[in-house]
Amino acid sequence: MRNGCLFIAQLGFLWLIYQLGQLLSESFHLPVPGNVLGMIILFLLLSFNIVKINWVEKGALFLNKHLSFFFVPIAVGLMTYTSLLKESGLALAVILFGSSIIGMALTGGVSQFLSARQIQREKGEDAGERRHSI
Amino acid sequence: MSVVTLFSIVLTLGIYMLARVLAVRFPSPLTTPVFLSTAAIIFVLVGSGISYEEYTPAKEMMTYLLGPATVALAVPLYRNRYVLWQKAVPAFLGMIAGTLATIASAVWLTKAFHLTTTTAASAAVKSVTTPVAIEVARIIGGDPALSAIFVMVAGMFGAMFGPWLLTAMKVTDPFSRGLSMGTTAHGIGTAQIVNEGSLQGAVSGAAMGFAAILTSVILPWFFPLLK
Repeated sequence: MRNGCLFIAQLGFLWLIYQLGQLLSESFHLPVPGNVLGMIILFLLLSFNIVKINWVEKGALFLNKHLSFFFVPIAVGLMTYTSLLKESGLALAVILFGSSIIGMALTGGVSQFLSARQIQREKGEDAGERRHSI
Repeated sequence: MSVVTLFSIVLTLGIYMLARVLAVRFPSPLTTPVFLSTAAIIFVLVGSGISYEEYTPAKEMMTYLLGPATVALAVPLYRNRYVLWQKAVPAFLGMIAGTLATIASAVWLTKAFHLTTTTAASAAVKSVTTPVAIEVARIIGGDPALSAIFVMVAGMFGAMFGPWLLTAMKVTDPFSRGLSMGTTAHGIGTAQIVNEGSLQGAVSGAAMGFAAILTSVILPWFFPLLK
């Protein structure tokens, strides 16, 4: 019972931060949507120890795990676009999927390549320092 | 609450829970929960003659926590903050390369198929989260409604095939996998990759945010260059 209340309170707290993000995003016409701004706000509150991680952790991890669920009812809206699919579905599929694959390959590839180089360079520096100390 | 709304909620929850079980037992792009649930629900709605308008009140109730759920991504972000900080440079350059490449290829492919500039502008924003996509689409001359569909399809594609494609392209580093999903498939991709690991989820959530900011800053001048 107590756990249940705590869980609801955590969800309520996350909801409040979301509303704050929305409010800031709308009133200052920021290029960041309210939900992302809320994420940044909570991250800062946690980083500066204003909010303790265990205040939000249980509720947050539950929502993380089921984040997919919230997109399902929205995606069901695709059912109203069957005519668009029939008209130019194939071309759109090539455009959307093709550009996504290119973007994925480059983002992941560049990041992985640079991370590996960074790790190697750090190892090299470590070895250099060790030689000095000997 | 009307009977149709109650039915829609029970249906959506039931199918989602079933889809999660199936995803674990038979892992495949086709059993990706967000895809399988959506397809099954559309099938049932069409079969029982319920329109999307009738489903909408249920949708409103069920998506009430989407905002707070996105805010909740701050928790994995906070837990993995040191790794993120350490890899800030590779992450930043990876995101810039990926974002520019996605936009350019989407615009050029649209032109190759002789579709309208409005379609190109709507496709250019497809990798970022919906609220940002529709705003930026409006600025560069796209159709916000069409953009919203493209965003949904890109996210769905990323969630279904992203992890598999990344493995095929030998992107095995968990950090880079998360980065790639968040940059190209926003929240839907993040929702999928968070189940692969906390680090992947954290990076993906952060990348989704940065990609949204990056896109809204560069597209107004980058898009005219591509036309």
